[in-house]
Amino acid sequence: MAEKMDLVPSQRSPAGEAAARSTILQTPLWKVRLQLAWRGFKSNAALFAENKIGLIGLAVIVMFALMAAAYPILINTVWDPNIYDPIIGYDFTQVEQPAPPSPAHLLGTDPLGRDVLSQLMYSAASEFALGVVAALVTVIVATTVGAVSAYFGGAIDTIFMRLADIIIMMPFVTVLIVLSVLFEIRMLHLALIIGILAGFGGDAIVIKSQALTIKVRAYIEAARIAGGSDAHIIFRHIVPNLLPISFLYMMFTVTSAIFSEAVLSFFGLLNIRMSWGLMIHTTSTAGYLLDLQKWWLIFPASIAITMLCAAFYLVGRALDEVVNPRLRKR
Amino acid sequence: MRNYLIKRLAQNVLTFFLFLTIVYFVMDAQPGDFADIYLSNPRLTAEQRQALRASMGLDQPVYVRYVLWLRDFFQGDLGISFSNYPRPVLDVIAERAPRTLTLFLTSTLVSFYLGFSAGKVLAWRRGGLLEYVATVGGVTLYTVFTPWFGLMMIWIFAYSLRLFPLGKFVDPVLWQSAPVDANYVFVRMLLTALISSVLLFIWLLATQKLDPITKRRTRWIGYIVLLAGIVGYWAFFTSGAAIYALDILRHLILPVMTLALISFAGTMLLTRNSMLETLREDYILTAHAKGLPEKVVRDRHAARNAMLPVVTSLVFALAFALDGGVITETIFSWPGMGLTLLNAAQLEDIPMVIGGLVFTGTLALTAHLAADILYAYLDPRIRYS
Amino acid sequence: MSEPLLRVENLTMHYTTRAGDVKAVDDVSFTLAQGDSLGLVGESGCGKTSVALTLLRLMPDNAKILRGKVWLGDTELLSLPYEEMRKIRWNRISMIFQAAMNSLNPVYRVGDQIIEALNTHIGVMSIDQARQRVAELFELVGLDPALMDRYPHEFSGGMRQRAVIAMALSCNPDLIIADEPTTALDVIVQDRVLRQLEEVQAKLGMSMIYISHDIAVIAEVSNRIGVMYAGQMAEIADSIEIFERPLHPYTFALMGSFPSIKGKKHALEPLPGEPPNLISPPSGCRFHPRCSRATEQCKNEVPIFRDYGNNHFAACWHPLEV
Repeated sequence: MAEKMDLVPSQRSPAGEAAARSTILQTPLWKVRLQLAWRGFKSNAALFAENKIGLIGLAVIVMFALMAAAYPILINTVWDPNIYDPIIGYDFTQVEQPAPPSPAHLLGTDPLGRDVLSQLMYSAASEFALGVVAALVTVIVATTVGAVSAYFGGAIDTIFMRLADIIIMMPFVTVLIVLSVLFEIRMLHLALIIGILAGFGGDAIVIKSQALTIKVRAYIEAARIAGGSDAHIIFRHIVPNLLPISFLYMMFTVTSAIFSEAVLSFFGLLNIRMSWGLMIHTTSTAGYLLDLQKWWLIFPASIAITMLCAAFYLVGRALDEVVNPRLRKR
Repeated sequence: MRNYLIKRLAQNVLTFFLFLTIVYFVMDAQPGDFADIYLSNPRLTAEQRQALRASMGLDQPVYVRYVLWLRDFFQGDLGISFSNYPRPVLDVIAERAPRTLTLFLTSTLVSFYLGFSAGKVLAWRRGGLLEYVATVGGVTLYTVFTPWFGLMMIWIFAYSLRLFPLGKFVDPVLWQSAPVDANYVFVRMLLTALISSVLLFIWLLATQKLDPITKRRTRWIGYIVLLAGIVGYWAFFTSGAAIYALDILRHLILPVMTLALISFAGTMLLTRNSMLETLREDYILTAHAKGLPEKVVRDRHAARNAMLPVVTSLVFALAFALDGGVITETIFSWPGMGLTLLNAAQLEDIPMVIGGLVFTGTLALTAHLAADILYAYLDPRIRYS
Repeated sequence: MSEPLLRVENLTMHYTTRAGDVKAVDDVSFTLAQGDSLGLVGESGCGKTSVALTLLRLMPDNAKILRGKVWLGDTELLSLPYEEMRKIRWNRISMIFQAAMNSLNPVYRVGDQIIEALNTHIGVMSIDQARQRVAELFELVGLDPALMDRYPHEFSGGMRQRAVIAMALSCNPDLIIADEPTTALDVIVQDRVLRQLEEVQAKLGMSMIYISHDIAVIAEVSNRIGVMYAGQMAEIADSIEIFERPLHPYTFALMGSFPSIKGKKHALEPLPGEPPNLISPPSGCRFHPRCSRATEQCKNEVPIFRDYGNNHFAACWHPLEV
C-alpha cells in the first residue's frame, strides 16, 4: 500500500488515482486504531475531569513527580553534595543539629545533620519507583490469576480463591513485619512482595468476577469456535477487557505500597538507605519524636506520605467513576 | 441458614489449616534456622553442633517437622519467647490478648457506626460542598500516615489539652496498691460487654412483636434494668475493681478515637456507594409513594439494604483495623499483641513473632466468621431459604 | 353530575438531561369522575408514566413542572407543601408500579410492609388490629392470609403482584394508579390479576387510572380511555365510544395494529415512521410526520383539545369523522 502512494500523480492509473483520493485506503490500520484510542481516551478524560477530586489527586502526583525530577538537577548544580547529600551530607556551618529551617536549609536538618528537603526530594523518586513496580506486578499477577480462574473454573478457581481469602483476611503490615524478621528486605523485594500479595489477594477476586462477565459474551464463544487456543482467548480477548479495572486497582496498590513501606521504615525493619518513613525513624531513634518544637523532623515526611497516598487513592476513586457508570451523577 | 453457617464454618476451618501451613512453610523458608542462634558459639565442636541440631529436631525432613509443629500447636505449645525468656509464647499471648481485644472491638464498633451513619447521610445528599469535603477528608484520614496521626492526637488531646493520659493503659500510681491485676479487670470488662450485648439482642428480639407505643416503653425499661445490672455488678461483685476499670477506660479513649478515625472513612465511602446503588431500586420509589417520611425511607428502607454489601466487605476493614491497631498500640504504648509483635520483630524473636502472627490470623478468621453470621442474620434471603 | 374526583389542567413537565430538555408531558388535560376507570394508552415513552408520577409528585430530581394544575377534589396538589403531599400519598392516591416484583423491600416481611403504610396514615393501631386488616386485604386479592409473615423472595411473581395490590388498597385510597401491572407476568397470571383488579374495583368503588401500551388489556378493564402520543393527550373518551368512533388518526392506527380473533382476517397495518425525539419534538401536532392526513396547518399549529360531545375530546385539525 505504501509504495503505491509514492507514485507521482501522472503515473497513477485512474483506479489508482481514485484509490489515492480515498482517505480510507490511505490511512494505515495502526493509525485508525490510534485515532479510536485517542477519541476514547479524550471522552474518558472528560468524564474523569468532571470529578474535581480526581484532578486534585492528579495535581498532587504531578507535584511530587516534579520534586523527584528536580532532585538530580539540584544536586548537580546548586547544591554542594558534601552538604546536601541526603544520606552522607553534613553541614558544618550549623551550630546545633538538628537545625531549624533557614535560607540554606529550607526545611532544616535532621539529627544527623542532613538536609531535610534534599531527603524529601530524593525519596520521592524511590517512592514512585516502589509504587510503580508494586502496581505493575499486581496488575500482571491479578489479571492473569483472575482471567485464568474465571476461564478454567473448577479446581484452579477454588485454589486461587481460597488463597485470596487468606490473603485479604490477613493484615498487610503485620504480615510484612513478620516477613521482615524472617528475610532481609530491600526496596525492590518489598515492591515485589507487595505486588504479589496484592495480586493474589483481593484484586484477583474482583478481576475474576469481571472476567466471568466477559467470558460469557458472544465473541468469546465465537473465538472458541473459530479454533482459538485457550491462551489466545485469554490473552487476546479477555485480558484487554480487564485492563480498565486492573488499571483502577493499580492505584490502590500504589497507595498501599507507599504506606506499608513508610510504616515498616518507621519501625526500622527495612534495609534501605533513605525514604520518608526512614526519616521519621531517624527522628524516633534520636529521641525527638514527641518534641514538637522540632516539627520539621516529622511534619514534612509525614505530610508527604499522606499526600502521595491520598493522591493515588483519589485518582483511583475518580477512575472508579469512569469505569463504573453506575456511580456517576446524572 | 443452618446449611449456610455450617458451610461457612467448614470453610473457615479449612482456611485456618491452610493458613497454618503457609505460616509454617514461610517460617521454614528463612535463610538459616533456629539453630544458628544457639550455634554461633565458635567453641562448639562439630559433633556437639550435630547433637544440638538433632535435639531440636532440625535434622528431620521438613514434612515431619511440619507435622510435629502442628501437633505442638494444638497442644498449646508455641515455643518459648527469646525476648521474654523463659516465658512460653502462649503465656505472653494470654496476657496481652485481652488488651488488644478490648481496643480492637471497641474501635471497630465505633468506626463502623461512624462510617455507616456518615455514608448514609452523604449518599442522601448528592453533590455540593459536603460531598467533596467528606470524600477528601475521609480519604485523607484513611491514608494519613498513622504514626504521625497518632502523635498529633497525643499532642492535641493529651499534651495540650490534658484531657487524656499520654499513653499506656494504666496509671501506675493508681494501680500500685491495686488488689487485682490488669488482666482480671480486662477480662471482666470484655465479658460484661459481651454478655450485655447478647442480652440486649435477645431483649430487642423479644419485644419486636409489640405495637409501637408499648414497644418503646418496654424497651426502655429493659435498657434501664440492664444498665442497673452492670453498675451493680461492678460496684459490688468485683472487689472494688470498678475504679481500675474506669482508669482503663480513660486510657482507652484516645487510642480508640485514633483508630476509629482512620478506619471509618473506608466504611463511609463504601456505605455511600452501596446506598447510591440501593436508591435506584424500585422499593425505594414505593416507599416514597407510601408517603413515608424521608428519614424512614433513608434509614429503614435504603440503609437497611445498603448495609448488606458493607457487612460483606467488613473483612477488608478488619484487616485494616488490625494493622492500625499495631501502629496505634506502638504510639500509645498500649501493651497489647500489636506492640508485642513489633518488639519481637525488632528483637528478632521468631517464636514470638510467629505466635503474634497466628494470634492475628485467628482473630481475623473469627471476626470473619462473625461477619458471616451477621450477614446471614441480616439478609432474609439467606435466613429463610 | 357530581364533582369529578381528579382534574388535570394543562400539565407540562420537562426532564433536564445532559443532551437537552426532554419535553415529556406537554399540555395534558383530563378529568376523572368518581368510580371511573381511566385507561391511559400509548407507545413506550409517550409520557403516561410521567403523568402518573407527577400526580403523586414522585418525579426524579431532574424533572421540572413548568405549568399546570392537578385538582384532587378541591385540593390543588402541585402547590401543596411537601408534608401535606406526604399525607395524600397512599392515603388518597396510591400506585402500583411497573414490574411490581421489586416494589417490596426484600428484608422485611410482606405483612409488616403493609402495616407500615397503615401506621403512617391510619394512625397507630394495635398489632392485632393491623394484622386483621392485612388478613382482610390478602383475602380480597386472593392470597392466603398466613403468607403475611413471609418474605418477598418466598412469593412467586403473580403472588407478589397481588401483595402489591393489597398494599395499594390498604389505606382505602380514592384513586389507584396501576402502571403496567401485568406486563411482567405470563398471560394466565395476567388474566387472573386483571380479574382480581376488576373485582376489587367493583367491590370497593374506587377510581382507577390504568396505564398500559396494550390496548386489548385497557379495553377490558377501563370504562374510559385516554390515548397519549409523544407527551400529549391525543384523544379521550368512553371506551365504547372510542372504539366505535375514533377521531384521532393515531387512535385509529392503534386499533388497527392489534390482531383480533373475531372478524375478518386483515393484514396488520403498522404505523410508518418512529416515535419522535422528545428533546426536539416535531412542530405543531407532534403526530404530523407519521400522519396520512397531515397538512401545512398540522405542521405549524398545535391542535386544540376540543369537545366533540358525549364527553369525547380530541386534538386534531382533521379528525376522522369530519
